[in-house]
Amino acid sequence: MLKQTLSAEWLKLRRLRIWIVLLALPVASVLIGSANYAMNQGVLQKEWYSLWTQVGLFYSEFFFPVLIAICCAALCRLEHMNKNWNMIMTAPVSVASIYYAKMVICAVLLLLVQFFFFLLYIAAGHLLGLPAQFSSEVIGWMVRGWIASLSIAALQFSLSLVIRSFALPIGIGLCAAFAGLGMYVAKLGMFFPHSLLSIGMGVLGQGGLSPHQQFIWVLMNLLYFIILSIYSIRRMSQRDVIA
Amino acid sequence: MSEVISTSKLSKRYGSTYSVQDMNLTVREGDIYGFLGPNGAGKSTTLKMILGLAKPTEGKVKVFGKDFAEERRQILDQTGSLIESPSYYGHLTGLENMRVVQRLRRVPDNNVTEALKIVRLDKHKDKKAGQYSLGMKQRLGIAMALVSWPKLLVLDEPTNGLDPAGIGEIRELIKSLPERFGMTVLLSSHLLAEIEQIATSVGIIHQGKLLFQGSMEELQRRSYPMIMIKTADNSRAQRFLAAEGYSPQLFEDRIAFAGLGDEEAAAVNRRLVAANIDVLRIEEHKKNLEHIFLELTGKERSL
Repeated sequence: MLKQTLSAEWLKLRRLRIWIVLLALPVASVLIGSANYAMNQGVLQKEWYSLWTQVGLFYSEFFFPVLIAICCAALCRLEHMNKNWNMIMTAPVSVASIYYAKMVICAVLLLLVQFFFFLLYIAAGHLLGLPAQFSSEVIGWMVRGWIASLSIAALQFSLSLVIRSFALPIGIGLCAAFAGLGMYVAKLGMFFPHSLLSIGMGVLGQGGLSPHQQFIWVLMNLLYFIILSIYSIRRMSQRDVIA
Repeated sequence: MSEVISTSKLSKRYGSTYSVQDMNLTVREGDIYGFLGPNGAGKSTTLKMILGLAKPTEGKVKVFGKDFAEERRQILDQTGSLIESPSYYGHLTGLENMRVVQRLRRVPDNNVTEALKIVRLDKHKDKKAGQYSLGMKQRLGIAMALVSWPKLLVLDEPTNGLDPAGIGEIRELIKSLPERFGMTVLLSSHLLAEIEQIATSVGIIHQGKLLFQGSMEELQRRSYPMIMIKTADNSRAQRFLAAEGYSPQLFEDRIAFAGLGDEEAAAVNRRLVAANIDVLRIEEHKKNLEHIFLELTGKERSL
């Protein structure tokens, strides 16, 4: 059944201009981060890692959460417009498969974004004259960033599926990104999706995570993802469809 | 004939007011059931509850004899619908929109081609649905509802936005569906004339309540004929006939008799002629459905 909803969902991406946002925001993060790095090379002496702290900071604390919010809002807006909920909710598919189709599409898009961001980071490093060899840690940060992005996506979907406004959930997401920074500073980062992203992408802390912390980190992401997904699906199936 | 849809005591309450109350709707196989009522009477809400888009406050819905709450997917698999106004993705072409439904419903390519042809959108299928006219969007909506050749078709105000030629065309299409494809159709309208021309069964809803349900003939049987006579001097004729024991009423430029049989009509004519009052016209007027509808809803209000 997921195959049905997924292939239908895939078709809807045609001609959507969401690509522009998905490409522009990583570029903006890398540009700003690299400029920051270039101007502060006096204090930023750890080469690839220093570049990462700059580029990744803008990306994971601001641009990426906004990008996730826009991506989720855009996928929901398709249905909010022109009474499409009426059509999709009378299709012979389960509500869960409708939800997960959107989630899978979102996850694939975010994975591509993450990969694109990775390429941009490498390109920026080379342009800035860093040595050819970068730390392989980056790959781990990218993968973890993607995993944490799914928790944030689950949060954004829970908002955008209900709120018909395109901008409001994005605004809330932006506030949550700042709240996540606060939670991180208050050492409560493990308990908030947006700070899980900060931790996962390793942009604020120098040291890596201990195996124990890693376990908690994965668990918290899983928990957020599952609870928010169940919440969204229940809400979709129990509430009246407002098309 | 078996019951395709049956609702029992179906009610929907928003806040403290009932939008639909104690609705016992029965649609039989092969029916074209016309669901008639003024705007805001609760038609769409009822249709939405039948399709599971709205959850009943009280009561139950059975479709194909199955409980909706338990067998949602099996029911929806055999049901096509168009609710409120057509659904479409504006950035996709008509054909791509159909493909979305095709994938959700797993139907062969043939169905898509056929459905587009049947609503005469095949020449516009590569145009973006967002650029369609209202009538074309409505046709697309009907094509989407038809694409799986469902056993049950639920159409909410299907002729909305269509031009007169389009209305006629869609009406003929809907009329042909039970015979051609063995479909059962439930359609709503606020236009009496439309229901009268399409439906075989009628349900009249007003302020959330079902006031009448039965076959079209049953509804029409409620209309009784009036004999209207136009004479050269109506007021004299009326006085004369009243004195003769009839109860004629002046009605515009005619005198009207309720429940006058053939022989009585002939007798009235003979008497008028004998009394030297020229008879210009004798006509039979059936009380039209509009009157019946107004009687049922109890108000002279616009539909």
